[in-house]
Amino acid sequence: MISPRTIRNLRKELRSSLLAKVGIVLVLAMIMVAAFAPFIALHDPTEQDLDENNLPPLGFSRATEETTSEMQNGSLVIKNETVLVNASASHPLGTNSLGQDVYSRAVYGARTSMMVGVLGTLLAAILGVSVGLVAGFYRGRVDDGLMRFADVSLAFPSLVLAIALIGLWGRAAVDIPDPFVVLGVVEPVRSALGLPTGMPDSFVLPGTVIVVVGLVNWVWFARIARGEALSIREEEYVKAARALGASDVRIIGRHVLPNATTPILVLATIQVAAIILLESSLSFLGFSGTTLSWGFDISQGRAYLSTSWWIATVPGLAIVFAVIGVNLVGDWLRDALDPGIEGEGGV
Amino acid sequence: MAEEILRVRNLTTRFFTEEGQVNAVESVDFDVRDGEVFGIVGESGSGKSVTALSLIDLVETPGRITEGEVWYRDAELADEHRDSYPDAVDGDFVDVRQLPETTRRWLRGPAFATIFQDPMSSLNPTLPVGEQIAEAVEVQRRARANPRRTRSRTQGYGMGRFIADSLLPSRNYVSEESHERAVALLDRVGIPDPEQRAEEYPHEFSGGMLQRAMVAQALAGEPDVLIADEPTTALDVTIQAQILNLLTELQEEEDMSVVLITHNLGVIARMCQRVGVMYAGEIVERGSLEDVFENPVHPYTEGLLGSIPDLEDPAPRLSPIEGNVPSLLDAEMGEKCYFADRCPKAMESCLHRIEERDAPSTRAGVDHKVRCVLADREYDESEALNPAEAPEVTDD
Repeated sequence: MISPRTIRNLRKELRSSLLAKVGIVLVLAMIMVAAFAPFIALHDPTEQDLDENNLPPLGFSRATEETTSEMQNGSLVIKNETVLVNASASHPLGTNSLGQDVYSRAVYGARTSMMVGVLGTLLAAILGVSVGLVAGFYRGRVDDGLMRFADVSLAFPSLVLAIALIGLWGRAAVDIPDPFVVLGVVEPVRSALGLPTGMPDSFVLPGTVIVVVGLVNWVWFARIARGEALSIREEEYVKAARALGASDVRIIGRHVLPNATTPILVLATIQVAAIILLESSLSFLGFSGTTLSWGFDISQGRAYLSTSWWIATVPGLAIVFAVIGVNLVGDWLRDALDPGIEGEGGV
Repeated sequence: MAEEILRVRNLTTRFFTEEGQVNAVESVDFDVRDGEVFGIVGESGSGKSVTALSLIDLVETPGRITEGEVWYRDAELADEHRDSYPDAVDGDFVDVRQLPETTRRWLRGPAFATIFQDPMSSLNPTLPVGEQIAEAVEVQRRARANPRRTRSRTQGYGMGRFIADSLLPSRNYVSEESHERAVALLDRVGIPDPEQRAEEYPHEFSGGMLQRAMVAQALAGEPDVLIADEPTTALDVTIQAQILNLLTELQEEEDMSVVLITHNLGVIARMCQRVGVMYAGEIVERGSLEDVFENPVHPYTEGLLGSIPDLEDPAPRLSPIEGNVPSLLDAEMGEKCYFADRCPKAMESCLHRIEERDAPSTRAGVDHKVRCVLADREYDESEALNPAEAPEVTDD
């Protein structure tokens, strides 16, 4: 399906566009961080240490009021002192209100965002593309029925729909064993690097959230796929295939789908970004099945924004970089794959 | 006289659009004989292409074939359906239109193959040319390997097959054998270096090469009837001649029948043994090439032939047919002869429905039919509808 010409176009576009390079670097970095989280994190992201809570990031200090009282000459003297809390080298981006390492939580949060983003998009794409291709290919009543249903789904605000579905189904989550921990490579590597050991041996995949974001976002894929199917079905090669005795499934699978991949692929990358944002919103509101998520950390940090800004800012920046990176990659794919922009693609 | 392979009777196709019902094909009758080229000629919008699509039952909504029979000669198929569809069988002939859709689908390819107008868009740009032809070969090969009755079950390309094919690259639908045959077919239609060309994508082919590839694909099923719907319209003139030569050559070698649809009278004169002239969805005149071209009865045919420049005797002006093709909207068509408004010889008797009748000169055993009152009587000026003496409205 990937022709040499496509690869050439992708390369050419990548060479000429700085933004595409930035996007690829961001996305690759995020994938690496998510994949090798147990080696990159400094602490167990769930480990609490209340003595070291709200530690500032390196280079910052936090002023706090400390009240001491003591008996002096028979009367109680209350002293208010301003104490500076200094950063600790073992928590370079600080700790949150429970003393958990902000950096390590952001690293593990990348896993949640990536998994939900990719799996949710995949589900949405499979659902939406199937519906859209069938609707566009058969037109008529099938089209009317399916697309009116899609319009109705679209009429709900996606966040509200997602919350309603999670309310209906609960917050089921699946524990996936961390492959590196299972293989037993994490402990030796971490001790060799002098990092604290005892990383979590499983990773919580918020199953309901994935299903819900898929169900909320399928409509976009259905619309694009329908539009493509409507135009491709009129192509002569579809007529020719039919005149040679090809079945509908064969025509849809072999002729319509491959010719519709480009816009679907571009939409999919953009949808990954949208779904990462939706997942963050859901976990911010507490509807996710996992607590290792950027959105959840932001909601935790919100209360301390005036005193400990880093708790919410670090995961917030992570979301910003992830979404910008994925969108830039989407733009790159669109520019490289859409033959309408560069003259080279036309027949 | 060769036997008929195809008998089309009363074929009627209508489009049910928002503006109203459009009568694109109106009770069309014609026969195609073994090993002949039957031409259908007419202006743009006269229903030629819809006739071709109606033959293979590929008219798309809002269009529908409302009436008519397409009798196709296949003794084996006739025997098989004699009991289950008694109405659809007549001797060796089977009425394709009455057969179930699955059977009809399996006739596309081995019975009827089609070449479309625009070769540039008739091949899927995402697949190599050779693979597309090989796929057509493979479908037909598998179909032949099994008795007809089980075809629909064993040959179906269902959802499961599709998923398996796309997930497991090793599961190739197309066999090595079919690939070789595809290369042989490309060679057959005169594509140089066929093995390498088979790996190339449609955008790497020129228009003429693509049309050759289309012909190769159509030949994959070894069809009895090849329907060529304006096969040369999109090509430049030198390539047109090559493609027409190729078609003639293949038609003789493979002993196919060809239904050639074109608006080019020169192509008809060069290729066809028999011809049907279409106007406003009807075949207004049909018969052997000589009869129709030498002794046209219908004024429309006369007009068409009169609008060809003659190299030997260049007239100062061509005599085009005045006016335009009438609207095919049912509401505006009425019951008269559709050509009456433009006809230089229209009479009062043209104002009712004209049935097809034998041309006056018809010798015994010759098939020359016309939809015109002039077949039975002479033109009578006293009854003229469009009086010739009426002053021209425009004289500049």
